Parts: sequence; structure tokens; C-alpha cells
Amino acid sequence: MTSSSQLLIPLHVRYIQSLGEDDLTYHLTAHLRMNAVYWGLTALCIMDHKDALSKDETIEYVMSCWVDEAGAFGPHPDHDPHLLPTLSAIQILVIHDALDRIDVPRVTKFILSLQQPSGVFAGDQFGEIDTRFLYSAVNALSLLDQLHQLDVEKTVSYIKQCKNFDGGFGAVIGAESHAAQVWVCTAALAILDRLDVIDQDTLAWWLAERQLPNGGLNGRPQKLEDVCYSFWVLSSLSVLRKVSWIDADKLTSFILSAQDTENGGIADRPGDLPDVFHTIFGVAGLSLLGYPGLVDIDPVYCMPANLIESKGLRKGWEALPRKAS
Amino acid sequence: MHGVKRVQYSQAALEAKKQRDHDKLKAYLALSDDVIARKKSHDMSNEAFELTTRLLRMNPEFYTVWNYRRDMFIESLFPQRSPSEVNELLSDDLSLTFELLKQHPKVYGIWNHRRWCLEHIPDGPSPDDVNGYRNSTWNKELFVVEKMLDADARNFHAWNYRRYILATMPFPPPPKSELAYTTRKIEANFSNFSAWHQRSKVLTTLWETGELDRVKSIEEEFELVRNAMYTDPDDQSVWIYHAWLIGNGNYAARLQFEITSIQELLDEQPDSKWCMESLVRYKRLLIEKHAENLGDKKALVDSCLELLAKLRDIDPPRRRRYDEIAEGIRSGNEMQ
Repeated sequence: MTSSSQLLIPLHVRYIQSLGEDDLTYHLTAHLRMNAVYWGLTALCIMDHKDALSKDETIEYVMSCWVDEAGAFGPHPDHDPHLLPTLSAIQILVIHDALDRIDVPRVTKFILSLQQPSGVFAGDQFGEIDTRFLYSAVNALSLLDQLHQLDVEKTVSYIKQCKNFDGGFGAVIGAESHAAQVWVCTAALAILDRLDVIDQDTLAWWLAERQLPNGGLNGRPQKLEDVCYSFWVLSSLSVLRKVSWIDADKLTSFILSAQDTENGGIADRPGDLPDVFHTIFGVAGLSLLGYPGLVDIDPVYCMPANLIESKGLRKGWEALPRKAS
Repeated sequence: MHGVKRVQYSQAALEAKKQRDHDKLKAYLALSDDVIARKKSHDMSNEAFELTTRLLRMNPEFYTVWNYRRDMFIESLFPQRSPSEVNELLSDDLSLTFELLKQHPKVYGIWNHRRWCLEHIPDGPSPDDVNGYRNSTWNKELFVVEKMLDADARNFHAWNYRRYILATMPFPPPPKSELAYTTRKIEANFSNFSAWHQRSKVLTTLWETGELDRVKSIEEEFELVRNAMYTDPDDQSVWIYHAWLIGNGNYAARLQFEITSIQELLDEQPDSKWCMESLVRYKRLLIEKHAENLGDKKALVDSCLELLAKLRDIDPPRRRRYDEIAEGIRSGNEMQ
């Protein structure tokens, strides 16, 4: 495997198209298939190859995961409904301008039913709580234009209680700051116009310290660099308008070095196996860094920026300007 | 998938691997299809239950199957059984999840199922001792989570689970005992940000309840941190924790003392980014909060700007932040 100084777009497009060929890993991850379809589709959009996967087949797949008794989506046919695949399903349908396929009142009811008295959301009726689910609910309601049905005060008050001594946020009240949880809390606050909750200077500092000497970003102090943090950390910094607080060139080189230059796709770090999760987040990170030839991504929704803007949902955030070449 | 290395296989090795994977996949799909079909037909038999055990051992991330297993407990395995038998079934699942956690310490579904088991322990063993089963099982959980944290002191699933156990168990140990636990973890490894984080939470609780005097406690914390700083000045955990202890910098004497102490360390370690970063932070607080008592304010300002210039050199990725701080100091100064 050789490193590359360029984003190998055609190779990554083919990689995404090839996903689903019969292999063990593919089947072992059916529980996140809906998420994977959303990751693959969004990566294609940002690489300006939205049509590389069939729109009709994708929509039919999404609808085959609808669980009528619940009014929600599962990740794969015959899998139980859950908030995470429900969000991904909504995002896919929005990207394909097919939101009319959804029973909006029923999905809204499902989402709202998962809010707990404390303000956080559960993922399903088994009750696991996490700020990831809070974000999923806020994002989904926003895309469905049902945010007015949310108890915003209660939701925001939970996030406030998740704030830690380092300015960051964790999965639940009391949990350690972690870049992915920081992103979901920051993005949820952005959607709800409550960025005032954040100690912005302190959090931006903690986020900037995620950059390691090799240019990659980690998710917490003393952990390894990982391409997915190119999105979680970078998009949080983008909302705080502090993307300049990390070294863009070094991060760009790091992401590019994690490409699989033979089979396509991007891995968590150089030398590892690629997957669609790290592919989207690597591409999204590059887009926020102004990498030439990519489409703008909205860091709050992790969806094409012009699409979010056209729905009147764009919030205040700053990415680096797109380089000409 | 994280941390899975690409391996270059020879043609022969690749063929062999493909065959093995193909066989594994066939077996997995057969089992998965069988379990899902049974779930759809509402099969609540013991046979179905055993099949979910097999499937979950192959793929503990298959949360739909954990859901099915729990439904089987509620609908068919628990009814008609004595509390002792129900307790036994749950103990078995606690053992199963412990075994799975050792191989898959970060799978949400396994941790979730453990909580569910704990929350469904029946009353018993007797009408005079309705909490016996619960107390005994919940008490063991701290031991389980300690093992998990010994294996990986940064596993946030384990830390979150620990906090859940302490908040929910019938007779939790006192917060001071948890403070001692964080001391142990920190002394084992000063870089354990998770332990420092836990400490920040436990202390906050102890201050709020009045169990520990905040002022005296913070003084002791500064001693602990100083020790850690001198042992490993490059470890960011300590410095971030220190910044939290300083807080809004309203206590001028403490600011001065810490600045002097950190300057001494910087004299020994002239390239220490964290010493410089902290000196700038605390000198800025002096300038902002205690201007009226400052002898030579200009000297402080100049010192900050000098440190920021050095930080630009030794920590180039974050130079824009240092520049912005310097700009802020200059313009704040000019406004006076």
C-alpha cells in the first residue's frame, strides 16, 4: 500500500458501490446497515457522485426497514426499530427528496415517546440513554419540521448537566468528555439555538488539543489518533468558529494517508482496513478543511450544506474556504 | 471497525481465508435466519433461547437478538418459576455477559443487557429478606467493573457503568471511598484522564453535601497535582485538572503561588508547552481580575506575550490560538 497526496475519489466511489458483496463483516454489521447506507450516500454526495448508487433501490431498502407497529425504522429488515436507524432513514430520504414516503406524525410520536423525564432520550423501549440519542431526536425532528413539538428547555437542561470540568460533554450526566459526545451535544445546541450553554473558549481549547504530532486527531487525552475524529472534533470546532485552532495541512495529510490506495475507502489510521464509517468522516473532514473538488458539508447535520440551507436549517458555523486545486 | 490492520496475503493464504470466511458466513447466516424466523413467529421456547445464546456469542452487537432474549425471559422463562430460579437465570446471564465483555469490552448491547438483568432481580430469598438477592448481586458488580477498569482504565463504558452501579445499588459505599478509588487509579497512572474526571465529579458532590470542606480540599488537590506535574509535566490531564482547580481565579494569593511554582518547573523544563500554556492562563487571570493590586502590570503583559511567542514555536499546530490570545491581551491592554 502506498500513501497518497490526493483524495482518490473514483476509487472511493467504486469502494462504496462494492459494499454489500457477500462477506462476513458485512453480515455481522446488519445492526447498523441503515447507518452505513447513510454514511455511504453522504460520502458520495460530498465527492459529488450522488448518483453512484441507485436512488430507487436505496429508497426501497429504507422503506423495507419500516416497522409499522412502532412507527419507526430498524437498521435492516426484521431488526427491531431504534432511534439511530430512524434518523439515518430520515436523512437518506431527505437527501433523495423522498420525505413524502414517511408517515411524519407517527415517526414524530415514536421520537417524542423516547424522551425521558430528565430531558435525555432513550434509543428504544429498552431504555438505554445517551446524548447521541438526544442529538438524533433533535436532528430528526428538525428535518421533519416538528421541532416545535419538542420540550426544548428540558432537552437543553440535560445537556447542561453533562458539561464537564474541561468544557466538554459526555454520553450521560457524569460521563467523561469524548469528542463524539462533544459533537452531538454541540450540534444539538446549535440546532436549538442554545450555544450559550457552552464554555466556548474552554471547549475549543480542549478540542484543539486533540491534534497529535502526526497531524491526526484523537477523541480524548492520551488516546490514539483516528480519522473519524476528523469529523467529530472538526465539526465541533466549525460550530465554535475555531477551525483555525488546529493545523489544517497536517490533518489533511493524515486523512489522505489513511486511504486504502488499492481497494478504496478510508481507514481509522494508516495501514488499517478501511470501512464506510471512516470513509464518510474522512471525506467530511476534508470538506470542512476546504479540500478542492469536494462539496460543502453541514457540520451540524453531517449532510450536504446546500440541502440543509435550502430547508432553512443552516446554523452559524465556519469551515475553511474551498481551495481551487 | 477500529484498529484492524491490513494484511498482505499470499494468493494461497487469501484463498484459504476466503474459504474459512465463507464457511463461517454460511453457519452464521443459517443461525441468524433461524433465530429471526423464530422471533417473527413468536417462538418463546427453551430451544429458541439456546439458539439466541449461540448467536449472541457469535455476534454480541446484534441488539435485536438481545431484545428477543429479554422478551423470552419476560414472556416465558420467568412466569411459572420461583424467585430462586429466576435469580439463577439472571445470574447465568450475568456470567454470560461478563464472559462476552472480556472479549468485547466496548459493545453497548452487552453492557445494556447486564443492567437489564440487575434491574430484574426478583424479591427474595424469603419474605423476611426481600432484598437479599439484589444486595448480593449488586455488591458483586463493583468487583466486576473494577476488573474491567484494571484491564482498560480508560474504558468509558466501564466508568459509566461504575457510576450507574454507585448511583443505583442498595447500599453504596460512601463518596469518600470513591475519592480513594480515584486516588488509587491516578497514582497508578497520572495520565488517567478518566480518573481525574471521576475525581472532579466526586469532589463536587462532597463539597456540595458539605462532607468535605471545599477550601481545605482544594489545597490538598493542589498538592496532589503538583506532585503529578513534577512527575510528568507533559501529561495534559494534570494541567487541565489544575485549570479547573484555579477556576475563575478569584483567589489572587493562590494564583501567585501557582505561577511561582509552575515557573520553577519551567526553569527545569524550558520547553514545557504545558507550563507555558498555564502561566499565560494564570497571568491573564491576574491581569483581568486583580489589576488594582498588581505592581507591574506591564511586566505581566510582556511576560504573557513572550510566552505566547515561544508557544507558537514549540507548538505550531495551535499557533492560531496563541495568536488570538496575544491579540486579546494587546487590545485589552490598549483599552486601559
